[in-house]
Amino acid sequence: MNDDSEHPDLSSRKYPVREDMAYQLKVWRFERLGWYLLVLLMLLGLAGLFSRGLLSSREVRSEDGRVSVEYEMFHRNGSTNSMKISVSGAPESTIELQLAGEMLEGFSIETLQPEPVHARSSDQGIRLGVQTDTQGQANLFITLRGDGLGLFRSRIVLPGTRDMKLNQFIFP
Amino acid sequence: MDSVLRAAAMYLALLVLFKIAGRRSLAELTTFDFVLLMMIGEATQQALLGDDFSLTNSILVIVTLIGIDVGLSLLKQRSSWISRLIDGEPTIIVENGKLLHRRLRHARLVEADVMEAARSSQGIEKLEEIKFAIIERNGKISIIAREN
Repeated sequence: MNDDSEHPDLSSRKYPVREDMAYQLKVWRFERLGWYLLVLLMLLGLAGLFSRGLLSSREVRSEDGRVSVEYEMFHRNGSTNSMKISVSGAPESTIELQLAGEMLEGFSIETLQPEPVHARSSDQGIRLGVQTDTQGQANLFITLRGDGLGLFRSRIVLPGTRDMKLNQFIFP
Repeated sequence: MDSVLRAAAMYLALLVLFKIAGRRSLAELTTFDFVLLMMIGEATQQALLGDDFSLTNSILVIVTLIGIDVGLSLLKQRSSWISRLIDGEPTIIVENGKLLHRRLRHARLVEADVMEAARSSQGIEKLEEIKFAIIERNGKISIIAREN
């Protein structure tokens, strides 16, 4: 690029149009850098920075292994993603799980399966009673639709276990 | 509120994207360019309207788009700097029958593109018959023939 400015091809002409080649070279450089940016965005998109991909899909487990959550870290406003919460406890019992924090402000819950035994509001979110099977396992499948914009910090609370923190970002 | 923001954000994003694509990108519409343009329009439409298909929303979006467009043209009239930034400048690519290769390379053009424009606009057969070829601001190549 260095020899460009001295090359006779690239000096400014005055006739038939008045040129400013220094400016035009900047425009061409902008086009080239812009193209690199587009490729970078494509790669990041493939990697899942904008939801659904390696960078976005997370699976976290509590220290004692009683709760595990599969979720998407990046969402887009208006689109739906699923979340799976697996808990283990005493067989054939009801476990009370709390979705707390900002989750319900940023997302609306479109579906919740299987239907919880009970659901009630709490000071920080909602409490859901889930029924465990004969092995003491229970899964909860949630479809979340991103309604807000920005970062939302939420917690999944199971009594007797340290809170699990989830950070989710919703793109416009 | 969000319809105005949506439309404004989309206008700016497309403006920057088409600046990156360069002035030539959609100037000579080939069949495929036309299809590409339709696909871009289709992808844009959803983001512009969201899930609100009301008359108010669509009018608000259109008002915003036209408003920004007229506003920009007024700004362009007042400031040559902004006009140059948005519309660019013409660039000479053939001078007295000689290709300016460096410029062609930067503009992502080849000799065939210049000759195509020469044939279709002036009926010129050889490069030597061209006095000037200029990429205009709208991306079209205009040809000035040599006088015999």
